[in-house]
Amino acid sequence: MRFRTLLLRQWRNRPGRALAAAASVAVAVGAVVATWAAADASRAGYRRLTETVAGVPSIDITARNGGRFDVTQVPRLVDVPGVRAVVPLFYRPTLLRVGERRLREVAVGVDASALAAAGLLTLDSGEPCRESDEVVLDATLAQGLGVGVGDEVLFFARRRVARMRITGLATSESLRWFAEGATAVVDIQVLESMSLSTAEVDRVRIALNADADRPRTLAAVSQRLPQSLAADIPVGRASMAEDVLHSANLGLDFVTALTSAMAWFIVGNAMLMNVAERRRGLSLLRLLGGTGAQVRRLITIEAAVLGGLGATVGAAVGLAAAGPISSGISRALQTPSAALAWHPLLVPGAVLMGVLVAVAAAWWPAREAASIDLLEGVSAAPPAPPGSASRKLLVAAAVLTVVAAVSEAMMYVGVWPPRASVVSGIALLLAFVALTPFLLIPLVRFLSRFIPDRWRVESTLAVEQIVRQPIRTALTAGVLVVAVSNGIGLGHAIRDSVDDVLGWYGKMLRADWVLTQAGALSVAREERAADSRKMEAEVRAVDGVAEVEGIGVATGRVAGSVCVVIARDMPDDRPLPLEPVDATSDQVRAALARGEAVAGTVLAQRIGVKPGDEIVVEVFGRATPVTVAALVVDYTSGGASLVLRRDAARRLLGMETADVVLVTAAAGKAESLQAPLAAIGKNHSMLLRSFGELRRFIDTIVTGVVGSLWSILGLGFVVGSLGVANTVTMSVLEQKRSLGLLRAVGMRRGQVVRMVVLQSVLLGTAGGIVGVVAGLTTALFIQFASQPLLGHPLRMHIRPGIIVANLLAAIAVTALAAWFPARRAVRLDLLEAISSE
Amino acid sequence: MPIVRTQHLEKTFAGADAAAAVPAVRGVDLLVEAAEFLAITGASGSGKSTLLHMIGGITRPTSGRMLLEGVDLATLDDDGLAAVRRRRIGFVFQRYNLLPELTLAENVALPLVLDGVGPAPAEAAARESLEKVGMAHRAAHRPDALSGGEQQRGAIARALVTGPALVLADEPTGALDSTNSARVVELLQRLVADHRQTVILVTHDAVVAAAATRVVRMRDGLVESDTAAGVASR
Repeated sequence: MRFRTLLLRQWRNRPGRALAAAASVAVAVGAVVATWAAADASRAGYRRLTETVAGVPSIDITARNGGRFDVTQVPRLVDVPGVRAVVPLFYRPTLLRVGERRLREVAVGVDASALAAAGLLTLDSGEPCRESDEVVLDATLAQGLGVGVGDEVLFFARRRVARMRITGLATSESLRWFAEGATAVVDIQVLESMSLSTAEVDRVRIALNADADRPRTLAAVSQRLPQSLAADIPVGRASMAEDVLHSANLGLDFVTALTSAMAWFIVGNAMLMNVAERRRGLSLLRLLGGTGAQVRRLITIEAAVLGGLGATVGAAVGLAAAGPISSGISRALQTPSAALAWHPLLVPGAVLMGVLVAVAAAWWPAREAASIDLLEGVSAAPPAPPGSASRKLLVAAAVLTVVAAVSEAMMYVGVWPPRASVVSGIALLLAFVALTPFLLIPLVRFLSRFIPDRWRVESTLAVEQIVRQPIRTALTAGVLVVAVSNGIGLGHAIRDSVDDVLGWYGKMLRADWVLTQAGALSVAREERAADSRKMEAEVRAVDGVAEVEGIGVATGRVAGSVCVVIARDMPDDRPLPLEPVDATSDQVRAALARGEAVAGTVLAQRIGVKPGDEIVVEVFGRATPVTVAALVVDYTSGGASLVLRRDAARRLLGMETADVVLVTAAAGKAESLQAPLAAIGKNHSMLLRSFGELRRFIDTIVTGVVGSLWSILGLGFVVGSLGVANTVTMSVLEQKRSLGLLRAVGMRRGQVVRMVVLQSVLLGTAGGIVGVVAGLTTALFIQFASQPLLGHPLRMHIRPGIIVANLLAAIAVTALAAWFPARRAVRLDLLEAISSE
Repeated sequence: MPIVRTQHLEKTFAGADAAAAVPAVRGVDLLVEAAEFLAITGASGSGKSTLLHMIGGITRPTSGRMLLEGVDLATLDDDGLAAVRRRRIGFVFQRYNLLPELTLAENVALPLVLDGVGPAPAEAAARESLEKVGMAHRAAHRPDALSGGEQQRGAIARALVTGPALVLADEPTGALDSTNSARVVELLQRLVADHRQTVILVTHDAVVAAAATRVVRMRDGLVESDTAAGVASR
């Protein structure tokens, strides 16, 4: 016989125990592979969603003093890491004439061929414009005009009227990224020449790679620019999508990290139970002269082999599950399903990871087993529970709580990124797990009082089993705590984030129809101001219009930081469309009426401004001091906004134009407004959208993102359930001898099964209760972590549905997981059960 | 040189505080020569098993010295003690303590396997050891297929397989009927007579103790009497 034969014999003798340990690794590796693949699919989906809504992630270079600038001032930037393309942009209002129809449009000058080659301009048909008499039109506009590729349009510019041939029709989605509402694309040099301008541009937009680190790229670009130019992340560009996605990405980090932590905890637990169950045999080995190193080696080899087997199965199952899960997430996000990245090292990597984790998880039990009390192997009495463990666990809980608190504090003050909250979340969860043994027994005793008297015998024995096996009990409950906490913490965080965004949008977008500016914001401001006033007057005059609220949007600077300045009509008879922080709506309304401003929480945090401070706002090249009256929750431009009443913005900042007009219809008149409003929009370069359309747009994003998060959370639930089932099964198998003894002394099979199930239900409920507390604390941490991201803490709501669902699931899984092996155990021959060591 | 020499050996089990500490063995001096068959008797809690555990290096004494073949066990580290238990001492317990997953032959070979002996010589030595105790015909059986007496003879074969200088037996007949008890005692006697091995046996049973060449009676952690068979206390 060789030493390794002992392992093989042990596995053959107790296949259930070995299989359960290997299964735990399979579950963990499968979960990690599937979760990572699903998270990857979600991230890719989020990126595509953001690109669809807000265009390719980008950085803008503009003149520090406003206005156009000489493009030759921009140094070479294509070699900056993360930069995909550098695109100079030149906008020019124009008049297009097709037959007898005249349209006021905005033209954009770009290098269309280069844009198309970089994948930033997608043509429905035709090819990019190159020559001085060529133009690419927005496909939707062309369809409306009834023209196509090869047709001609008259193009009115400052210098001349040109007859231009349509060479291609561009998709509206690809125009959205750079055209800022422009519908005609002309070669940049041609448009500059037609506008009596040479080498001047409005801005240079830098397209970034999907995986680029935007702040880092921004810093690198800024470093290369001359003093006269500034680089910024474009603001006001469909930032709602980005905000939701920021939160979603943080949620994704949490879900992935907690699911992985839970998976590895299950492995650690299984390894610990696997060794704990064999203490007697290991002690005997030591007594017969085996060294500590030999015992350690035995356990480590076992962990490596079981880990390898489990990881191979787990990787296969995980990869098989990853495909459908990723497709489901892509469908939820309404983005094309990306092919899974089958890296050649994925499977070997996952298997190696499983082996390493199993070996690492077995390290502590191996160490404990190596220094096992030799008398344990020959003693008739069960070993006394380790006395020093309680102090160690308390110390561990304290240390983990400190780690969690410090990490959260560092993140809160901005020293660490929001992702640091993932570390604090996991540390906190482990602190709860360490505290579980202290809370469990009193909870179990308390809960046992609610068991009906007719099951008194079974419940008494069940409680005794739990109390007398503190290690086994704590390990089983630990998995439960992690699983329930995961579900509750993330469930709350997801729902609260979504409610926060939707709640804000509910306040902000309260209209039946929305007219939005379709022109580039920086173009022909003076002309547009007069036009805007006229347009608003026309809208007010339409029969059936009850309320018109104009919103002006401008890019400004405060204390060197880019922000969006919002000028909004705020009628006194309508609720304030803002969510003040630490101030009442009435206070904010009064301050706005005085000509003061309110700052978005993110802007306030970024520039360190407080209510009562005076700041200097630079808009349209003029600097104006403004008092900040309060802070408000705002998702426009990621909360980096400054909001004024429109009359004050007009007076102080010269913001005349309404870039967005919200139209509320009189009762029953909403449908009848569509045609007249569309006609007014057309005349004033505004796009008409219904509130329902906007709502559907927002819902699409939110539903998709939430759906993807729930999918991964669901995966976590499955993993948690399997882990709990595995642990409970191991626990019942370990009790086979005790159950046999109970049968031998006259307990009926039904009674024994009931006792085991009661034991599990008590444990499931107690562990679930601790998990609820841990989960709510985790949710609190996640919401706290949103502060630096959103600039305000998310309001946490206790959601009984999520809590009850998780608790019931924990109880049901533990009860079922105990019922099956208990039924098997009581069917065993009594002698076999009693003689099992 | 004596096989075992204890010098004022003491063992106190710690309690929650000093008052709760339990002195199990309180200063035992003992000298055991080669080829002695020593029985330690006494009431439950008299300290006889604790003394045996200290002699076997299973428990470290609180104070005093335990010398095995002149080597102070206190000077050995954990691995050193394991090597001594593996090579110089054979253990027999009341509950046999055979590993259920191994056959009888494999159980017997285990101390050799732990000592790094190859499979073939370990197997041959196990078979030889089993023959000594009359259990060779049951070599391929697993413990659960053996009777209590057979398991205990298997455990004795395991204790002998490394050719130890000292065999320590803790209540080896405690779970056996009189016939099987007699066979086990006879086996132990043969070890001493035929192989000049030293046996220290802990027992409650006066009949078993009578088979020894020397009987040490313990009471409250102290040696109450130390009697050679039919001879006065020394």
